[in-house]
Amino acid sequence: MSAIPVDRARVDRSAVFAHSRGGTDPRTAARWTRRQVAANNMRALIGRAYPRVRGMVREPSWLFFEILLPFLTTSAFVFVYRALQAPEAYIGFVVLGGALSAFWLNVVWMMAGQLYWEKSQGNLELYFAAPMNLMAILLGMAIGGLVMSSLRAAAVLVISTLVYGVTFSVDQWLLVVVVFVLTLSALYGLGMMLASLFLLWGREAFHMTNVLIEPVYFVSGLNFPVGRLGALGALAIATLPFAVGLDAMRQLVFAGQPYITGTPSPELEALILLGMTIVFTLLARWTIHRIERIARHRGTLSIRWQ
Amino acid sequence: MSAITSPGHGSGPASPVPAGLGQLDAGRFDPKRTEGAGLADTVRSLRTALLLGWRIESNWTDPTLFVIYTVAKPVASLLLLVVMIQIIGGSASDATRTFVILGSALWATVIAGIQGPAWSVLDDRERYRMLKYVAVSPSRLLVTLVGRGGARLAAGAMGTAVALLFSVIILGLRIDLGAVQWPYLLVVLVLGIVPVIAIGVVLAAICLQTRQESWSYPDALAGAMFLVTGVVFPLAVLPDPIEVLGLLNPITWWVDGVRRAIVPSGPSSIGGQGSLWTAVTGTSAPDGLQVIAALLLTGALVTLAATAIFRSSERRARDQGLLDRTTGS
Repeated sequence: MSAIPVDRARVDRSAVFAHSRGGTDPRTAARWTRRQVAANNMRALIGRAYPRVRGMVREPSWLFFEILLPFLTTSAFVFVYRALQAPEAYIGFVVLGGALSAFWLNVVWMMAGQLYWEKSQGNLELYFAAPMNLMAILLGMAIGGLVMSSLRAAAVLVISTLVYGVTFSVDQWLLVVVVFVLTLSALYGLGMMLASLFLLWGREAFHMTNVLIEPVYFVSGLNFPVGRLGALGALAIATLPFAVGLDAMRQLVFAGQPYITGTPSPELEALILLGMTIVFTLLARWTIHRIERIARHRGTLSIRWQ
Repeated sequence: MSAITSPGHGSGPASPVPAGLGQLDAGRFDPKRTEGAGLADTVRSLRTALLLGWRIESNWTDPTLFVIYTVAKPVASLLLLVVMIQIIGGSASDATRTFVILGSALWATVIAGIQGPAWSVLDDRERYRMLKYVAVSPSRLLVTLVGRGGARLAAGAMGTAVALLFSVIILGLRIDLGAVQWPYLLVVLVLGIVPVIAIGVVLAAICLQTRQESWSYPDALAGAMFLVTGVVFPLAVLPDPIEVLGLLNPITWWVDGVRRAIVPSGPSSIGGQGSLWTAVTGTSAPDGLQVIAALLLTGALVTLAATAIFRSSERRARDQGLLDRTTGS
């Protein structure tokens, strides 16, 4: 018997028991099958990814600021090398770094700081209150952001390659694809984890976002082989998916270049990326649930601007 | 009975009436109430916005952490370029290294100056939701944003100073303090701050129209300007049409002027073999006065354009109700 009496005659079943599939009262309706839970989480994922993809159409200014201007930034480093009369291979390193940096920027700006901004906007409490897994929200954010950053990366890569005449030399196409996918998985796994941590850090999160850009570019060897940084480069490869992914991609798409030395083989770096993907995703899952518990316990979900 | 009396009214001794409040006693509208105190109001608004901006920038943490956050970005940017030079141009002269280090260090101030007004719009509209209240207050929105931008620029200048100190201590940058042209440096620095903030105001005008994701726009614009302003390589390397864009940009003249003041014998980013400047004028590089004149001219043009663009954007934002929206994706 239900604790809450329901007047079946007056209830609009399609609205209230939309997910119950034959339930007779709210409590029964809340008992979802695994399939229903998965479908619901998938809807949440798509729903969170949708505004990011759709927003690209509604706000065309990003085409200028997210594609043309980053191409010019990459060009600036190309001209630095040209002014230094560097070997042409380095132009290719810059172009690849410029393309992959789109993903890192997206992780930092649109993943790491996102939950903090959602809190400021009042959406976060709705996420916590909704009957879904918060990982679905994080994954939706990641997939939506991935679409935008992939377009940016592709545009920078294609335009720069054409304008500066970069020549790629690929021996292992399959490994390139595997490394690329693993790099993105590890990057966005890290982004999901940072999203939860930034929520804890409050206003410091915004400043942390800023700090995570140039210093990470430097230690990851954005414009030069990371092996040239010695121990610092090794530390970056052990901890930062951007550094490992960039180095592995460089080794794979500029095969045989004598300038890329001092780092593990692409196969080993692929394994490192796989490990990072697993670790960051699990940590993200643990952190977001921990934050959820803390937030519910302390009742701080709706406290903004701290 | 009014609590405020004015001369000629009431039986007691006359007491001064604050400007704009005469209407309370006179029973009619006092136009002064809408006029405010003119320049004094503007200065007060600017000072308040500066102070507010500085507090927002710095009050979230303790001073040590604030300094670390402020200098991490410029120092990392500097190291990125220095390592590039070291890898490629092991034989690059000290002059080249000094050229790159000075340009890169100055860039921290430029980025901060550009970010300030734009991020203030996004902060106040999306996060604190105060933009609408600032807009309807007697203070002008433009003045408030310039003040907020000034505070961020000050933080950026700290980054520049620390990056230079780092370069001297760690990277072995040699600056002969006796040779630095201090008065010239002061003049160029002051003249350059205005167009830097003006460019930030243009971005603020854009951010008034766009959504929350515009956080990264200032960085993107700064990155693009990095290409055309001769910050880390001479303009002569660029194709002629892009070089023209660089010569029209006040930041180009500002960076060159500051570099010339600190290292008078160093290379110029504007002139030199193969440069448009040398081809047109026949001189190897502009002299100090020419740099100041060009900085004044281009700076004035950019500042006027920025003011016009911002006013137009603000008008549209008010019309369309954009000051009161929150966005995001």
